[in-house]
Amino acid sequence: MQITQIQLDALKEIGNIGSGHAATALSTLLQRRIDMSVPEVWAVPFAQAADIIGNMDEPQAVVYVRVEGDAPGKAVFFFPLVSAQVVVRVLLGGDGEFDLFGDELAQSALKEVGNILVSSFLIALTKFSGIPLQPSVPALAVDMAGAILDAILLEEGILDDIVLFIDTQLSGIPQIEGQFIFLPNEGSLQKLLGALGV
Amino acid sequence: MSEIINVGMADYRTARVPDILMTAGLGSCIGVCIHDPVQKVGGMAHVMLPTANGSAAGNPAKYADTAIELLLEAILGLGASRARLRSKIAGGAQMFAFPGKPPVLKIGDRNAEAVTAELKRLSIPLLVADVGGSFGRTIHFDVGTGELRVRTINHGEKVI
Repeated sequence: MQITQIQLDALKEIGNIGSGHAATALSTLLQRRIDMSVPEVWAVPFAQAADIIGNMDEPQAVVYVRVEGDAPGKAVFFFPLVSAQVVVRVLLGGDGEFDLFGDELAQSALKEVGNILVSSFLIALTKFSGIPLQPSVPALAVDMAGAILDAILLEEGILDDIVLFIDTQLSGIPQIEGQFIFLPNEGSLQKLLGALGV
Repeated sequence: MSEIINVGMADYRTARVPDILMTAGLGSCIGVCIHDPVQKVGGMAHVMLPTANGSAAGNPAKYADTAIELLLEAILGLGASRARLRSKIAGGAQMFAFPGKPPVLKIGDRNAEAVTAELKRLSIPLLVADVGGSFGRTIHFDVGTGELRVRTINHGEKVI
């Protein structure tokens, strides 16, 4: 898979618009200011995918949504556990610690956040590209970041040697950090780029 | 002092006593550990998928049906005896359950099956397998003692 600089810039723009909408949605939901980094687009050997998410055995709360429609892919939101606690506390009230591994209410709150983030990302992307895209029901895992990433990358039992990520860091005040990753399937990438005329 | 040697995704490494082989955050992937308890040498492969399906493209260390043979050659190269080799495996989890949809492909289970079959084909006894479940694993393999330490976030730690 060869990607030109113009295509990379187009993908960055996709990331920018989509993540901007996602950040606004999160900001509204949590009533907190959320800042967003300029998205990075990575086309890397999968072994380096690990470097993008950082420490492989650090526990994170990860919401995974399959993107369905004419250009399928995967959308993943990584929350460090500290941020996940803050998010759940804001949504559910109280100041105690939630058991993110077992508390179903806390887990469904996180899934809902993921759902809203990904939906707003996809709405923006659909408007921008004209390609209809819908989110699946979100799934949640609270576990080692590396274990979750490999499960997502390998879900279909195939893995291209080069993996493309659109990666945005979200940060807020106080203590809300997260990482949003969009992984278009290989055929989808051509469609999205085609819709953008690159 | 023993050194800890990190084995990345779709990679395999060998070591001599007292070094420790480690791989962090195994999800549906499998850590395959092989050692010779007398020569005290061994190796670890981080296998990602069951089979290369005869495709020549890509990294052979990614697949059960090509990686383990590569690992075996490397361990024999360190002076291990083929007949004394023993193996242990860990990983092969199913990290996500989508509500309302049956898991289509359960790649973790397929990986575990493929690794087990390949070890059998190569006549390397499999002493213990810590596979399946829905949680990640970080493993440390002591090539001197053959001890495999399996750490999880919320499902304890054990030595197998």
